[in-house]
Amino acid sequence: MSFIFSEVPHTSTVRRQKVKNFLQSVDLEMSEDVEIFVIAKEDDRIVACGGLSGKVLKNIALDESMRGEGLALSLMSELLKVAFREGRHDLFVFTKPDFQEVFESCGFKYIEQSKHQVILMENSYNIDLYKKHLRKYKHTGNVVGSIVMNCNPFTLGHRYLVEQACERSFWVHLFVVKEDASFFKFKDRYKLIYESLEDLKNLTIHEGSDYIISKATFPTYFIKDKAQINSLYTELDLNIFRNHLAPQLGITHRYVGNEPLCVVTNEYNQQMKKLLTAPSEFPPIEVIELGRIEYGGEPISASRVRKLMQENRLEEIAPLVPPPTYALIAKMMSKEEEVQ
Amino acid sequence: MSKKLETAHAGTLESSDAFVRVIPIDAKGIEIELESSVEEIYGDAIRALVLETVTTMGIEGVKLIVQDKGALDYVIKARVQTAILRALGEPEPDWSVL
Repeated sequence: MSFIFSEVPHTSTVRRQKVKNFLQSVDLEMSEDVEIFVIAKEDDRIVACGGLSGKVLKNIALDESMRGEGLALSLMSELLKVAFREGRHDLFVFTKPDFQEVFESCGFKYIEQSKHQVILMENSYNIDLYKKHLRKYKHTGNVVGSIVMNCNPFTLGHRYLVEQACERSFWVHLFVVKEDASFFKFKDRYKLIYESLEDLKNLTIHEGSDYIISKATFPTYFIKDKAQINSLYTELDLNIFRNHLAPQLGITHRYVGNEPLCVVTNEYNQQMKKLLTAPSEFPPIEVIELGRIEYGGEPISASRVRKLMQENRLEEIAPLVPPPTYALIAKMMSKEEEVQ
Repeated sequence: MSKKLETAHAGTLESSDAFVRVIPIDAKGIEIELESSVEEIYGDAIRALVLETVTTMGIEGVKLIVQDKGALDYVIKARVQTAILRALGEPEPDWSVL
């Protein structure tokens, strides 16, 4: 049997619709963030497809009638070729536990699962390298805290949370979300955090990774405008944190700011409390939810700062952020004016 | 002699073929990661063949990830050679070495 493989780029709306129809026929919903689809056709009919979104392979499907024909492996060969051509060598795949073996035969290794419904696999040993890297920063104490932050941008609210965590802990590990999907670039976010927290002595600032709130572990975090919440992903992300990352650093606590405004983050916080303490072979991690500090009767948050930026109200930003953040915003806003 | 390598691959995952990935590493030496449908019988022979092929080409500081689907010796050898040539960015192999 011979199949014809071709690529469907993001721009090809008509052909993308055909892929969408095919996916629906096998009960899958098309991910909007897929950049390129690879499809296999037989007699002008789509019989298999697979998509590439960043470094994640998604929406991989085969027509029922084609299973067992070796088509899955041909499709994966094509899909991997496309991914490598795009310079993406370290890949992830989300799939159902039933297909773990198929992907293992394509060189993928199991990382973690969620609710026995979704598993995450990768084609490198990078999680092992990352774990080894983390172990170098271990500090043993009674209370070892952790915080995961995007800081888009860093505000006095963030500063308060970190200060509180440092006061209550022997040591604190702060992870900065690495994915460049936010208004402020990772490089800038990291720099602002670093400069604004230099005085705290019992703190390690870590660059995030693919394994901590990234497009691989938690894709819905980055499309929260759509208010899409998928507990499968929040669970996946939290399982990786508890079972893979926290043990390397001996983490006993995780600190979060309470979240009255953003639905996705609030959901994440609530699920965190449940999952990080649930009985398991790994030690529980206590979740401490801290209140937000307020200014002018409203909580200080990064979204408030971004809104003020949009409205060009620079003076009102000053009392909400530390000096390095203010300096960067002032610079960004003056540049914008020049353009206008 | 140490040559500059890029990440590269050759082959497919289909039956009777092998999919070979070449990844430069910081360490010296040659790392081989093999997954084969005939691991039990030919695993060691395949590893030896891959190592020999890479050594003959004078390459060091690489990791090779090989997914073998029951390929014959000369297929594996050809896939490894091609992957390495691609990794070196050389369009023409040095035939005297091969």
